[in-house]
Formats: sequence, C-alpha cells, structure tokens
Amino acid sequence: MPVTEILDELRQIVGAEHVLDSEVDRFGYSYDSSFLPLVPAHKPDLVVRPRTTEEVSKVMAFANLHGIPVTPRGAASGRTGGSVPLNGGISLSLDRFTEILEVDESNMMVTVEPGVRTMDLHDACAARGLFYPPDPGSWKYCTIGGNVAENAGGMRAVKYGVTRDYVMGLKVVLADGSILETGGKAIKNVTGYDLTSLFTGSEGTLGVITQVLLRLIPLPKARGVIRIMFASMEDGCATVQRMLQEDIVPSVAEIMDEVSLQAVAKQSKMELPPNAKACVLIEVDGEDASSLESQSRRIEAVADACGSLDFRVAQSKAEADELWAVRRGMSSAVASLAPNRLGEDISVPRGAFPEMVRRVRHIAEKYRLSIPVFGHAGDGNLHPSVLCDMNNPEEAERVHHAVDEIFAAALELGGTLTGEHGIGITKRPYLAKALGESGVRTLKAIKMSLDPKGILNPGKIW
Amino acid sequence: MSGNGTTTSNQALLKEASNLVAGCDRCGNCLTVCPLFKVHDVERAGARGKNAIARGLAEGGLEPLHDVQAAVDFCLLCRACVDSCPNHIPTDEAMVRVRQFFTDAAGGPSAKYVLLGGVLKSRIWVGLGAFALGIMRRLKLAGLLPSTLVAREFPRNAFLDAFAGPAALGDAAQANTTKLKPGARVAYFQGCGMKLMFPDASQSTLKLLGNISPVTAKENFCCGLPHLAHGMGDTFLQLAKANVALFEDADIVVTDCASCGGALKHLASHFEADPEWRDRAAAFSSKIMDLTEYLVRAGYRSEVKRDTTFTFHDPCHLVRGQGIRSQPRQLLQSAGIFREMKESDTCCGGAGTFHMDHPDAASQILDRKRENIERTGAQVVVTACPGCLIQLTRAAEASGKFKAMHISQVI
Repeated sequence: MPVTEILDELRQIVGAEHVLDSEVDRFGYSYDSSFLPLVPAHKPDLVVRPRTTEEVSKVMAFANLHGIPVTPRGAASGRTGGSVPLNGGISLSLDRFTEILEVDESNMMVTVEPGVRTMDLHDACAARGLFYPPDPGSWKYCTIGGNVAENAGGMRAVKYGVTRDYVMGLKVVLADGSILETGGKAIKNVTGYDLTSLFTGSEGTLGVITQVLLRLIPLPKARGVIRIMFASMEDGCATVQRMLQEDIVPSVAEIMDEVSLQAVAKQSKMELPPNAKACVLIEVDGEDASSLESQSRRIEAVADACGSLDFRVAQSKAEADELWAVRRGMSSAVASLAPNRLGEDISVPRGAFPEMVRRVRHIAEKYRLSIPVFGHAGDGNLHPSVLCDMNNPEEAERVHHAVDEIFAAALELGGTLTGEHGIGITKRPYLAKALGESGVRTLKAIKMSLDPKGILNPGKIW
Repeated sequence: MSGNGTTTSNQALLKEASNLVAGCDRCGNCLTVCPLFKVHDVERAGARGKNAIARGLAEGGLEPLHDVQAAVDFCLLCRACVDSCPNHIPTDEAMVRVRQFFTDAAGGPSAKYVLLGGVLKSRIWVGLGAFALGIMRRLKLAGLLPSTLVAREFPRNAFLDAFAGPAALGDAAQANTTKLKPGARVAYFQGCGMKLMFPDASQSTLKLLGNISPVTAKENFCCGLPHLAHGMGDTFLQLAKANVALFEDADIVVTDCASCGGALKHLASHFEADPEWRDRAAAFSSKIMDLTEYLVRAGYRSEVKRDTTFTFHDPCHLVRGQGIRSQPRQLLQSAGIFREMKESDTCCGGAGTFHMDHPDAASQILDRKRENIERTGAQVVVTACPGCLIQLTRAAEASGKFKAMHISQVI
C-alpha cells in the first residue's frame, strides 16, 4: 500500500494534526530513556496520536490488515527500549489520554486513562485521602499506561508492592482492533484466566492499554524521612535486613553506595559526612507523629547496633523533600558520570541482597570498571550502573563480560534479570537463561495466539 | 571591533552543543516544566526533544533541514528545564549554538533579525526610535501602533493617581543591610527595551538610584542578547567589548532590565579563551547588579506603604538567569500588599522576539499567566524586564482587572 494512502487513512481516523511524519518528528519518537545509542535512530515511519479507544481500535485494525508494526508509547521514560519502534511502522503515542475518569471513593478505586502522569494520579487521590502507592523513580513524568505495561515498581514496594498489586481491570485494544475489558471492581473474581495480570507487564507486545482501573488504600496520615550514613555498604545492608526481621516495615528503604552519593552530591551541592561510604534512606508512615517517633527510635537502635555514622530525621517538609531529591536525582546523576551508563535492574530474594552487592563489587574489580550501585534494599531490587565508554572496543568487551556475570550472579542467588524496568530490547539476550526454554516457548505461544502477525511492538522481550 | 578567536567553525558549534547536552538521560523530567511543551505537546517542542536534536545533528542522525531549524527556534530560552533537570543540562546554551550553526550555514541570519540586530547594534538608531516613539506617545498616537510593536506603558503618574488612596504605614520590609562601599561610582545601564518601550519606568529607575547616591547615565550599547539568541555571535562580541570599555570607570553598573542583566553577568564566559579581553570582561560582569538586587543591598525601602495589592512575575533572566527571587518581593512588601501567584516563575511567552515569531504559542502561554495573575486578585502585576512587561501589558489589556508595571514605578 502506498505511503500516501496509509497517511490518508490514518489522518481520517485520528485527525490530520495528530499524524506526524516529518523527519524531525520521526526522530523525536525514536528513543526512550534507555542506554540504546541515539544514532542510528530507530525512527518510526509515522507517529499517530489517537484520543479514544475507538480510534486506537481503528488504527490497530488497519495496521493489522496491512501488517504495519505498531509500537505503543507513553512518556518514553522507560529504561529498556520498550517504546522504541525497532521495526519502524507506527509509533502509537497515548499521551493525549490524560483524563482521570472516576475516583470511586466508596469502592476506593480510580479509573484513569494511560497518559495520566503517575504523580498527578497520586496527588489527585491523595486530595481525597486515598493512596496510590507505586512510585517509580520517574513518577513525576512517567505515565500510568507505561507503568502498567512495564509493571513498574518503585521505592514503596517494600511495604506496598508494585503496580500489579493495584491493577484491578484494564481496557485493552488487541492486535486485530477488537476491544477487550478485563477484571472489574469486584475484589474476588476468578471468572476465567487472569487476563488483567497477563497484560500487566506485557511491554506493549500483547495489546494497547487504553484504560486502567486501580485499587487504592487509605492515605497514611503521617510520614517521616530518615537518612542514615554508614562507613560501609555491609553496615547499611545489615541495618535494613535486621529492621525487616524485627518487623519494622518502612514504606521505603533505599541504599546507595559512595560513588552514587558523590554523583548526586556533585549535582545538588549536598554535603556528606566524612567517611560516609553508604547511605540508607528510609521513609516511615503511620497513624500519627507518635507512631513515627516509635518506629524511628527502633530504627535508630538497629542502625546504632550496625555501626551507623550519622542518623538524621527530617524536621520539616522542606528537609524531607531535600532528602528525597537525593534519591530521585540518583539515576540521572550517576548516568552523567561517564559517556555511557548501562543501568541494570536485577532483583534478588531480599536475604541475598548483601551478597549481591558484594558480588557486583568483585565483578567491578575483576573487570577494572566503576559500577556504582543503588537500589531498593528493602525489596531486593538493585540498580548497578556500569560506567563506561562504549566507543572504546577493549573497554566495551570488559563491560559485556561484567554484565554477563552480574546477570549470572543474580540468577545464581535465586533472582532475576529485571525487577521493574522490563526486558525490552536491552535485556533480550539473557531471557532464555532466566526463563529456560519452556518458559520462552510459553511466552511465544501466548504472543502467537493474541498477535499472530506479530505487529505489536516487534523485536521486544526475546 | 573585529571578531576574535572565539568564533567557532560550523561543525564545531554542533559538537559544542552536543557536548553540552551529553549528560541528558532523556528521562523526560523537563517535559513537566517546559512552557512550550504544555501548549504543544510533541517531542520536538520540549527540552528533551531539543537535546536529542542537538545530538542527532552532531552525530549525523538528523539532516539540518528547515523543520529542524524551526524546532530549534521554537524555544523560549527560559531555562525552566535547566532548573528542574537532575543534571542541570543547559538546553538553552545548546540551542543558542545550534541557532548559530543554522545562521552560519545559511550565510547569515534571516532578514528580519538582521534588521532588528542592526537597529539595536546602533546607538543612533535606538535613540531615534526612542525619540520617535516618545513623540507619538506625547501626541497620543502610540495607540495607533499594534501592541506587539509598542507596549502601552502605564506610567508612574497614572499609578499614583489611580492608587493614591490612604497610604498605610505598615511594617518595614526586611532589607538586606549589607553596606555598599561608600563613594562607589554607580552607573545605569539602559537596555534598548526600556529606552524604546518604557521610558517612564527608566526615568523612575534613575530617580530611585539618584536618591541613594549620584548616578551616571551612559549612552550604552545594546547588551547583545538578541544577537546571541539569533545566531549573530560576532555582533554580540563587538557590542560586549564596546560596553566593557564604556563602563570601565564605574564600580557598579545597575540595570532595570533582567535580560540585559543576565546577559551582562554572563558576558565574561564568552571571553574565557581571549587573553586580551578575559580580565576586562570578567571585571565588567562582576560589576553588574539588577536594580532590585542593588536596592535591597543598599537598604532601600519604599517611603510609603500603599494599600495597593501587587503580585510579581519572575522574569526568566532574573530568577534563573541571576538567581534573584526574594529581592523584588521584599521591595514590594515594603510598598504595598504582596500576593504570590501560582507559577510566578514560568515564562510569560515574551522571550525576546518569540512572541512575534510564534504568536499563537505565546498567547496560549500568556493566557495561563493572565489567569494566574487574576486568581491573586492583585491590582498590579509587577515585573523587572521590559520583555515581560510587553507581554504583561497585553495581558492587562485583555483582562481589564489589573495593570502591568515595572518595579521601579511602584516602589
């Protein structure tokens, strides 16, 4: 089919101004926030920006008929290339779906469109005393559709779980354009397969999510932030482990090593105590100030026993925000330390976290690389960042070995390749090792049955 | 005044731009604050898209075609992205270089910028323009010109008439009591915008300065910011040198234009590789003070406190360009009742010639600003930059609920 006819047809469906085909626009929709190189660019042939489920349905039916690849895109803040249109075709941008459709206070659920930013959703719920807990590091700018498609995690997972734990139902447009509704507001629901869970974390390969029903919980009334400094990562890890064993469950327990700390200190002009080699950032929540106070006292006792250097409880909202900014700016600050940063996202059983940190350090030494680590010590999800210059072939070789060994170590400790970023493009080569042959075959069978022509987000996951 | 060694070759400009944004993680944080992305939400309009364009051009992933240039021109240079970026990627600086690249590649800037740049480069033309507009104002003919060309200034006398009311002697505003060196030679830098558009405000500034210590008004040259923004880097350097030389006998140079102030404070950075001018430029940049910065430092406070309600719009070049946020508020608190507006530091859409080049986007941004001003219920929106004042005057006319004035006219 000639390109002009394809253009005409799509313009008919979504309106002429919502189909972009200029070179500069195609380039603009060729990347996400992963470490894939910007050039050569994986440009889509067209960018299509529908506004309704019906429009998405028509676009999909048309694309399916003509075998045109379609890559759904939210805010393009993903870390593994999920929204990168690897095979060209259509970049299906859902950023015009920006309505919060219903906040159902009696059932404590919210119905949203996929283009709503996660923090805006959180704030809208919080204004009514309701809480949407998942808070990926990117929550200020990422959108909920992408969160569901990637089953995003975040810092509060230690206490409140991940995106999947809140998705109650979805509206999904399938590859052939048919519209599917899964789940619903009933809490107990075992009618048929759990399709809601199937599409959650499907990375845009099984369908296009156009509406999301999320469960909410009551908003904790009080919240406090604590920063603890340690002379070693071991001490920091031990503190978090012991806290959890003693049944102190913070809403956040983040750890960061020396290099990560210095990176963010450089960007934010923060002062660090001398000898500080690790930092644990903790958020506690509860009924009232005295509940926070008692949790904080117990945490301080544990940290003391593990040899903490400095224990600081934020005294004001401004101070809490300042402590948070350190963690939220971490990923970007670390990325700016070297020409390339391969940000990994391994996840191990909580008890294996300290051992994983040790192994990453050994791998870094072995391959003479700088691999700062930060991550969610409370839930076992670790982000080692391999800092390197991939234009140096000898170094690139060492980097590949190091990454291979990091993944091998994670699997050996009973963990997995990715905790919250997805497989996308960047982790494809390691999938078979993690899932085994029958695992991969099962994924492919599901894909084949829902998208036999393979038009949805081709080139991802395997 | 010839060009010097800091003029950079064409490909090197792209390389420089690309290096400036190399630390961009493409996370998308900037998209939540970019005023242009709010009114035109496609990737190329936001800061992330512009950083990628700079890198794409340098790395050969993008051809330097017309629509790429249009995307690069569609930037307010307001630095909202830089401020909120975890890595403080200087998108604005990269865009200035990419614009220079396109200008050089085309063999020079487009005719309208050449004309504008030429007029502003010449003290005579700026003077004649100011003279002609002055006559038109006196004959009450200025209203015949569209407000895009000539903002209708609301002068101090009219303000005093309108807001004379009972002058409340309220609490003194907190003032920075740092003493300036006695006997310091103070000079006034009059920006072209103030001279052409807001002569009454300019007179108020001179009067304020004169009340503190003797002040010299010089026939200065344009600060060069319009030239820098539109790919006329050589002219910028020429003007910079002329101004450096002109103000060598002053210890403090005060300006009431945030854009000039920002440009002049950053002027030294353009001469770092020039042994002949480096030190002189650095000395000049360190003398520059914004009017509000100077007044607070000098311990100035308004003689009377009126019961007029003010709100303040932070010019990009003041709040992010010079880190000045509290001073104007202190001064306004001493002069009347101050009410903070939402998004006070979001660009008004003026941005030099942006509002003429992209009237639709600029007016959408301004509508949002007008609503934020109206929500405060303030009688007067105050700012400290003629570029913003043009936009705010337009908003005031559209609204009818408030006036727009320069800070020197109300304190």
